[in-house]
Amino acid sequence: MVTEVALTVDLAVIILSATLAGFVAKRTGQPTIIAYILAGVVIGPAALEIVETSALTELLSELGLAFLLFLLGIKMRLDEVRHVLSPIVKISIPQMLAVFLAGMGVALALPPFGLLESFLIGLAVMYSSTAVVIKMLNDKDEATSLHGKIDVGVLLVQDIVVVIILAVLAAGRPDDLAEVATTLAVVLVLVAIITVAAIGASRSVLPTVFRRIADNKDVFFLVAISWAFLFVFVSDNINLFLEPFGITAYLSIEMGAFMAGLAIAQLPYSKELQDRVNPLTDLFVMVFFVSVALDLEAAELLAHWEAAIIAALVLMPVKFLVFFFLLDWQGFDSETTFLGSINMIQVSEFGIIVMAVAADGDFVGDEVLGFMTLLAIFTMAVSVYFVEFNHALYDRFEPTIDRWTGDGGFEGGKHEYRDHAVVIGYDDVTKNVLPLLADRYEDVVVVDRTVSHIETVEQEGYDAIYGDFRNSTIRKDAAVKKADFVLSSSVQPVVNNALLREVNDDATVFVEAERVDHARDLYANGAHCVIMTPHLAADRLADYLRAYLEDEDDALVEAFDNDIELLEKPDPIPSDRDRLGGGLDD
Amino acid sequence: MTDLLTAVAIIFLVAGPFLLVANRFDLPTVPFLVLAGIVAGGFIDDTDLLLELAYYGIALLVFTFGTRIDLSGVRAVLADGELAALGQILVVGSLGVGFGIVLGVPPMEAVYLGIAAALSSTIVGTALLERTVNSDPVRGRLVRSIQFVQDLLAILFILLLGAGSLEVGYVGPALASGVALLLAALLANRYLFDIIGQLAGDSDELMILGVVALLTVFVGAAEFAGVPIVVGAFAAGLAVRYDPVDYLGLFNGLQSIRDFFVAIFFVTIGALVVFPFVGDIGWAESVEKLVLVAGLVVLTAVVKPAITTAILVARGYEARSATLASLHTDQVSEFALIIAIQAYMLDAVSPAIFDAIILAAAITMVTSSLTHRYDEQIYRTLADRGVITGRHDRVDAWSDVPADLTDHVIIVGYGRQGRTLVEACEEMDHPYVVIENDPARREEIARECEAIVVGDAMETYTWEKANVDDAKLVVSTVNSQPVSRRVLSLDTDAEVTLRAADRATALELLDAGALYVGQPDLLAGQQLARQVRELLEGDLTREQLREQQQDELERRADYIPLHLR
Repeated sequence: MVTEVALTVDLAVIILSATLAGFVAKRTGQPTIIAYILAGVVIGPAALEIVETSALTELLSELGLAFLLFLLGIKMRLDEVRHVLSPIVKISIPQMLAVFLAGMGVALALPPFGLLESFLIGLAVMYSSTAVVIKMLNDKDEATSLHGKIDVGVLLVQDIVVVIILAVLAAGRPDDLAEVATTLAVVLVLVAIITVAAIGASRSVLPTVFRRIADNKDVFFLVAISWAFLFVFVSDNINLFLEPFGITAYLSIEMGAFMAGLAIAQLPYSKELQDRVNPLTDLFVMVFFVSVALDLEAAELLAHWEAAIIAALVLMPVKFLVFFFLLDWQGFDSETTFLGSINMIQVSEFGIIVMAVAADGDFVGDEVLGFMTLLAIFTMAVSVYFVEFNHALYDRFEPTIDRWTGDGGFEGGKHEYRDHAVVIGYDDVTKNVLPLLADRYEDVVVVDRTVSHIETVEQEGYDAIYGDFRNSTIRKDAAVKKADFVLSSSVQPVVNNALLREVNDDATVFVEAERVDHARDLYANGAHCVIMTPHLAADRLADYLRAYLEDEDDALVEAFDNDIELLEKPDPIPSDRDRLGGGLDD
Repeated sequence: MTDLLTAVAIIFLVAGPFLLVANRFDLPTVPFLVLAGIVAGGFIDDTDLLLELAYYGIALLVFTFGTRIDLSGVRAVLADGELAALGQILVVGSLGVGFGIVLGVPPMEAVYLGIAAALSSTIVGTALLERTVNSDPVRGRLVRSIQFVQDLLAILFILLLGAGSLEVGYVGPALASGVALLLAALLANRYLFDIIGQLAGDSDELMILGVVALLTVFVGAAEFAGVPIVVGAFAAGLAVRYDPVDYLGLFNGLQSIRDFFVAIFFVTIGALVVFPFVGDIGWAESVEKLVLVAGLVVLTAVVKPAITTAILVARGYEARSATLASLHTDQVSEFALIIAIQAYMLDAVSPAIFDAIILAAAITMVTSSLTHRYDEQIYRTLADRGVITGRHDRVDAWSDVPADLTDHVIIVGYGRQGRTLVEACEEMDHPYVVIENDPARREEIARECEAIVVGDAMETYTWEKANVDDAKLVVSTVNSQPVSRRVLSLDTDAEVTLRAADRATALELLDAGALYVGQPDLLAGQQLARQVRELLEGDLTREQLREQQQDELERRADYIPLHLR
């Protein structure tokens, strides 16, 4: 009777099996999602029957979905996608229509499915996998390339459509078409309201609130989560709120989470938050993917395995061709067109989610969910290899591809950092160097975790990134790998060693250290100059003392005057005391 | 949406505004999360499910505490620490138990009161500590070692009290299991952790998952062995090698996961509390609870720091260092909360005791952050009224000042700057005296310096001892406003140079009459700008700079001050 609350064995088994499967997947180059789903199949009722879903796993997988959408929302900075917005919309809408028709057609042609089932299958296969594509793009460092941005943009449009479709499906089985139309209308109105609320908040309340808490790491993170749960809670209970008005409607919690994220995305602090939310999302989404198969008997999963393989073999080429012609039509060059298309040939995990919700609402039977799961697993697995070798494929087939594509006329894309200067931390030590660097480098990027510093830096005309340099998104954003000059005013060996590991060999690196042994390490790791503020100060003070004791008054007075003059120069940084002593409102 | 998700949503919805308030007034978050829980408790019917989530919070809290322990550094902390101060645990703990028994609490339950009174916080404490540790190494060293040993003791208490009582039949096997888990953790740290690292490759996601799996295995093992999961979680933390450079993503990720579940833990704890005079609780019960809370608060916030101060003063620390360090122990520890909830689950304590511990913890965490904010004032007030008196005999015994010292330089603080200044004086054969407040370093300084006063620069006696009346110059290398002000207020003809952390302070101090104020950042900024300019203009290649700097480093490397080693 030692611990009354025993931790669930189920969750432990899920974590252990997912870890093992994840390690195997890593070795064999498969995406982790597939490993998680397969782990679920193995430990679930389909095979070993050692785990059933419990309240806790259900909670975590629900949180997984909500956080995945929240994270996606946080990444959606409107001004970063604006310049490819028009081609993206022109690609994604026809693409979804075409793939929907193809999916529905294939399903109809296959014996097991009726009209409603085929319709829903069509709806479920329209999307490409956010998880697979974004993960692969990140791994290959192509997320900010032109084809990467197109893919990400299209995925986001698809995700919005998913969210709407999930909302409609969540309302349950309708009696007739009119009811579908009403539901859709109510959902669209609600989505519109919640969007307006989110965007409105991101313009009014949120900047003030987050500006105040941004410097406090823990509060910042927890308040952001609280904000997400506000939207989740309202979306989930929207029916209770609307009941007095005689309206029945449902919103998915995913929708709420996405909108909560979208509102935060427009704030300058969103990048920092991405890295904080990401690990939680990974963990919860893992539970989600493992538990996808936990509800499926082997019979259901494999009921239509032939159909799943046929559908996969048809849909992958269809998806590729649809994307290929749409991208070409939008005037992208042949390489972008090819790469952007080959990345997107799989069926998304959202397909499984759509089908899972549909199965919950009694639209379809569990064996259709099994079919969809199998289809997604299969296409994702295959597509990973296409993404992995996309450049090799392009080189191999370039002449053929060129014959089919028009002249690429699309220009644009966001400015990318290259051979620039990165300064980590804005303080009395580093600020003198900024003008020098600005003379030499086209771009000088300052990374800092204090809001007031960022504001000062931006006023002075440098690029500023708000966030902790320890976070990988921040490092990627500052393009540390491509920098020619890096200066870090952090004295933490952790930060500086991570920095030295990431910079390329040609970069000049200045870092700070407080201790001699840290400095030695840093030199050994390739630093060119380690600034040791306390030592410098000690040497200088000793010099002054010598001058004082030898009565070299003139030299001393001159040196003092120089130092004092430096001290008296107008201070662009509000001192810490001012910041703490009130004035948090400004 | 499940009921559980609704409950979690409510937890965070309520916690949000409370966190904003905490942030607005710069107060610690933990008590506000507990308060949020007291409010949220009204909306949540079924706390059983939440308790399971809260347990993950506990496991992760203890686990991340374990991961941050650098095994190779443990011995250094223990050797460096002032273990005598731990006598405080014994004294305050006994007082807590006695207090309980006087109130008629059964002895076993009184033990829990004693533990709650004796242990101080880590999360709250370390967060507050980070602000002072740089400016006051003595205090930092004292507090860190006191709290660290307390945390280890807390784990031991949790292990021993795992059955809710101290039955011999439980304690023996439990200790054996605990030792076995720790050994397994050491082995895992040495061998298994690298394998996980290799298997995960460059994927943070898999690395985090692998480490969470490791946690799961240890917690499972603890459960299997019949000891509290907290012990398993702690062992799992030790099994993770603290290497934030190689595994940056891992430690960042664990932090997020921990913060999420720990928030749930603290709010849930609050939700379990029955507030006095609110709802269906009787008058007598409310009063009893309030008396318990008040007693715990007094023991923790007044008696504990007083006893710690007394012990430290007896060990020879200056009254000021001792008081300021002791003010870091004036709260109830998060570990006490974990011990309390464990006892509550086992029905080993009555709800009244449980509530009292939680409320006292919330109250003292807030008061503690306030006492830290005003610690210098508190010390001044107490010292001026003669409540705390320094012991000059120690200062006399440890100091070594030639009687005929005149026209000398007084160097305050024997850190890097102090040491360099001493060298300069010796080189020029000019008389000097060093003032240093860390008694642990007195032998080292006495060995290296001609004259030394071991005492606090805030105390008048220290300055008398250093014969400030006949001094030529006072150089303070201490980065502390109160010390700087104190030096300026000395009634002496000697000139004064000081040190400041930022520009505004430096200018203020110059205005107030300092001959010179050093601000290290400014010097570093100047030098950096010069080097960068030379580099960009091609006067110097990167390799030349590197060589030059490395030579410079080795020249300085002969000396590392003890507290930075």
